[in-house]
Amino acid sequence: MSDVSATMDLRRRDAADKLRGRTRYTIDRYLPGMLHAAVLRATVPSGRIVRLDTSRAARIPGVRAIVTATDAPGMIGIGIADHPLFARDVIRYDGEPLAAVAAVTLAQAQAALAAIEVEIEPLPAILTMADALAPDATLVHPDWRSYEVLLEGGARGGNVAWEATVVRGDVDAAFARPDVEIVESCFRVGRQNHVAFEPRAVVASYEDGRFHIETSTQVPWSIRNATARLLGVPASQVRVTVPPVGGGFGLKFDLAVEPFAALLARASGRPVRLVNSREEEMLTCLFRENADIRIRSAVTREGDIVGREAVVLMDCGAYGGEQIFLTTMTAHTLGGNYKLENVRMVSRAVYTNTTPNGAFRCCNGVYNTFALERHTDEIASRIGMDPLAFRRRNVLGDKDLGATGQVFESNVLGPMLDRMDTLRDATTLPPARSDGRLHGRATTVGTWFVFVGPSAATVNMNADGTVTLVTSGVEIGSGSMMQSLPQIVASTLGIAPEHVIVRAADTDAAGYDVGVGGGRTTVSLGAASLSAAQEVRTKLLKVAADMIEAAPDDLVMRDGRIEIAGAPGSGRTVAEVATRAQTVGGPVSGTGAFTGAGVPAMPGCVAGHFIDAIDIPVFAVHDCEVAVDPETGHVEVLSYRVVQDVGRALNPRAIHGQIQGGVVQGLGYALHEEVTIGDNGRVCQNGFETYRVPLALDVVPVEINLYEGAPSIGPLGTKGAGEVPILNVGAAVACAVANATGKRVQALPLTPPRVLELLLDRKPELTLPHIADKWADNLIRPH
Amino acid sequence: MGFSLTVNGDRLSCAADPATPLVDILREEMHLTGAKPVCREGFCGACMVLVDGEPTPSCLVPAALADGREIHTVEGLAPHGALNRIQTALEASDAVQCGMCFPGMVVSLTHLLTARPDASRDDIRAALTGNICRCTGYERIVEATLLALATR
Repeated sequence: MSDVSATMDLRRRDAADKLRGRTRYTIDRYLPGMLHAAVLRATVPSGRIVRLDTSRAARIPGVRAIVTATDAPGMIGIGIADHPLFARDVIRYDGEPLAAVAAVTLAQAQAALAAIEVEIEPLPAILTMADALAPDATLVHPDWRSYEVLLEGGARGGNVAWEATVVRGDVDAAFARPDVEIVESCFRVGRQNHVAFEPRAVVASYEDGRFHIETSTQVPWSIRNATARLLGVPASQVRVTVPPVGGGFGLKFDLAVEPFAALLARASGRPVRLVNSREEEMLTCLFRENADIRIRSAVTREGDIVGREAVVLMDCGAYGGEQIFLTTMTAHTLGGNYKLENVRMVSRAVYTNTTPNGAFRCCNGVYNTFALERHTDEIASRIGMDPLAFRRRNVLGDKDLGATGQVFESNVLGPMLDRMDTLRDATTLPPARSDGRLHGRATTVGTWFVFVGPSAATVNMNADGTVTLVTSGVEIGSGSMMQSLPQIVASTLGIAPEHVIVRAADTDAAGYDVGVGGGRTTVSLGAASLSAAQEVRTKLLKVAADMIEAAPDDLVMRDGRIEIAGAPGSGRTVAEVATRAQTVGGPVSGTGAFTGAGVPAMPGCVAGHFIDAIDIPVFAVHDCEVAVDPETGHVEVLSYRVVQDVGRALNPRAIHGQIQGGVVQGLGYALHEEVTIGDNGRVCQNGFETYRVPLALDVVPVEINLYEGAPSIGPLGTKGAGEVPILNVGAAVACAVANATGKRVQALPLTPPRVLELLLDRKPELTLPHIADKWADNLIRPH
Repeated sequence: MGFSLTVNGDRLSCAADPATPLVDILREEMHLTGAKPVCREGFCGACMVLVDGEPTPSCLVPAALADGREIHTVEGLAPHGALNRIQTALEASDAVQCGMCFPGMVVSLTHLLTARPDASRDDIRAALTGNICRCTGYERIVEATLLALATR
C-alpha cells in the first residue's frame, strides 16, 4: 500500500460553495408544503403542571398540528432512561418543552403557543449542586428508583444521578507516610456554551409509514434510535440524513429538536421545519457542565506523587444525559498526565433544576486538566521544585500505570516537553515591558483520548475509476470527511483524493456509527474506510493480474494505474480494471468495520465506568504567556504554543487549523465565556451581547508543533486531532495568570472582575463544603 | 403597498410586511440563503450584505428601508459562479471550517479589499470585529486577507 501518499495538505472540496453562500445547511432547507414549528417551554425551573389545554391554540388560523407529552411515551438517557421528550406533570427546568405546534407560518405557530393555556404550580427549585447535595434536599427526580437502567454498575441515589469510582493501591497508607507533604486544592468552573453558528435545526417528513429526519447533528444513528425510543416506534421506521452541519463542538452529539418535528410531520402529514431561535440556543444549550473539584496529593519532598485522591462534582442539570457517561472520564483526565501508585477518585453527576448539560469538545477534560495542572503547580510550589522539573519527573512514560491501572506504552509526554522547550527557545522573547502589567508564563500537559467505537464503511468502485465512500460520517466543519477520509481511501487505491466521492450521512445507506465527535472520525470511520478500500484493492488487483498476466503481489496501485512494481507505465488504468471487473464479475465494492480493541484496566479498580481504559491516549503540551493589567484585571494572552501528539499527521495544514480554532475556543473558556444562572433558574446570557465569544482582536497566532510517532491503533497510525486542541487552554492560562499575579487561581473564567478580586484579595479562597472532608464520605456506595 | 428591492442587479417587487428584516426576505422570498441569521442582533455579521456598497447586517434592516438601494449578497459578489479575490485566497488558505460565518466574512472582506487596500494585519483584525467565527480562531482568515491584498 502506498502509505506515504496519504500525507498531503489536501484542500477542502466544500470550501468554494461555503464561500459563495451556496452550501445548504439544514436551516437553508425549505420543502414544498413545509410547515413551521415552535416549542412551548416552561418558564419556571420547578413546578407541577396543573392544566395544559391546547384546544384554543388548535383553532388559531394556520395551525395544522399540536403535540404534547401523550404523543411521546418513551424515555431516553445514557446509563439511565430518565428523560422524557416533554415535561410530564412535573417541570424540572426553565425551558423544558411542554408542547409543540406546527403551522403554515412561524408567526401562526408562535401565536398558537401563546394561546395554549397552561397552569403551573411552582415548586421549590434546586439550582446548585450544593443545594442538591444538602442532607434534606428536595429530589429533582423523586422517582429515580423507577427508571430503566441502561448500563449496570453506576451507584445512584437521590440527587446523585450517577457515581463512578476508581480505587487503586493504598491511598490511606500513602497519605500517612511521614515523608510526604499533603497538598489540597479546590476548583470551580462554570458552564460554556458552544455557540454553534447553525442552531439546532431539523426538517422532518413522514413518508410511506416512516419518518425522514433531515437534521443538523453529529450523531445520525443516535438521533434515529433515540427518536424511535421517545416516540415508541421501531428504530427501523426512522431515517436520518444530515446536510453539512454549521458547527457542532459536541452540542449536536445528543438529540434536541428532532422528535418534535417528527411527531408534527406525522400528525400533519406535511414536512415540518423546526429551528431553535438564538435565545433558545442560549437558554437550553447542552452546555459544557459546571463542576466543583477537590484534589489532594501526598508528595515526597523529592517530587514523587505517592498518593492522590479527588472528588469531582459535575452538574448534569435536570436530566443525566452526557454527564452520566462523563463521570467515567475523570479517571482518565484528572487521573491522567502523571504516573500514579495509589489513587482514589469519585466522580458524581448531580441533578439540579437547571437546563441539562451535554458534551463539549474535550468534555470533562478541559476543567479537570485546569484543576490538575493548577494543583500540580501548587504541589511544585509547596515542595520548592521547578514546576516543569516536577512534570518531567512524573509524566506518564513507557510501561507506567494510569489511574485505572492501564499500562501506557512508549515515552510520549517527556519528549513532547523537550519539543516545547525547543519551540519556546526558538522564539525571540518579547522586549521587557514597562507598562506596569504583570507578566506570567506557564507550561501545562494534558491527557485526552480517542472515543473509538463502532463505525462502518462501504467503498463502491465505479467503472470510471472513481469510488464512492458511503459512511454515516458527518461533515461538521472539522474537515475529516473532506480531507482525511478521502486521503485514506485514495492512497489505498492509488487514485486522486478528488476521485473519492463522499456520500453524506444517511442511516438508510450506511451502517451503524457512534457519531462524529471524540476525535474519532479519522480513527474509527477512517479505519472502516481503510478496510473497505483494502477489500476493493484486493479485488481489483486480482482482475488486473489476469489482464496484465502478472501476480497480484507484484502489482502496485498509484497515479490512477495498476501496474507492475518498478515498471511505471506498465499495466492498466484503475478505470480499465474496474470496467473489466464489472463486466466479468459485477460491480466491485468493499465493506469495512471498526471498533475499539478494548485496552484492559486493572481488574477491580473501577466501578460505574463506561470506559475502563483508553484505547488511544492523546497527549498535549501547551505553553502560554500572559500580561495582567493590575488596574482593570484584564488578561492579555501574549503568546501561545502547542505541541500536540497526533500519531501521524495526514493533513498537517488541516490539523494546524483545528489547533488554532480549538485554542481560541479555549481562550474564551479561560477568560470571558461565562454562563450564570439567576435566582429564577434561568440562564442569564441569552444572546451574543451577554455571552462574549472571542473576536479577531482577542487572539494570537498559535505556534504549533505536531508530535508524530506515538503508538496508535488508528489507521496509518493516526489519532484524532480536532478535539484535543482545547484541552489544556484553561489550564495554561490559569497557571500563567497565577504565576503573573502570585495569587491562587481557583476558578474560571478569569474575567476582569474575577482577576481584580484576586489581585485585591477581595474574595476568600474557594472552599467546597458540599464535598465531605473524608473521601469515602462522598460515596453513595463504598468502593 | 409593497416595495421593491434591487438584489444582485435584479429588481424584485415584494409584498411582505415592510418591517420584515431584510435577511428574511432574502432567504425566504428570494431563496438567497447565503446570508445566515445567526444572532439576529447585529453582533455576529453572518448575515452581512452590501447596501449601496456598505457592509450591513441584514438582520437589522427593515426590508422596505432598502427600497431603491443596491443590495449585493454573497451570491452576487463574482460573476458566473467565479470566486472573487478574497474567496480565492480563503479557499487557497484552507481557511474554511463549518462555513456558517463565511458568507458574512466574505462580504465584509470584499469591501475591505477595495476600501482599504493598504490594510495592515492589525487593521484586518480590527475590521473583523463585526464578524465572529466560532471555528477557525481567525488566524487563517487574517492570513488569507493579507494574501488577497498582496495578490492584487
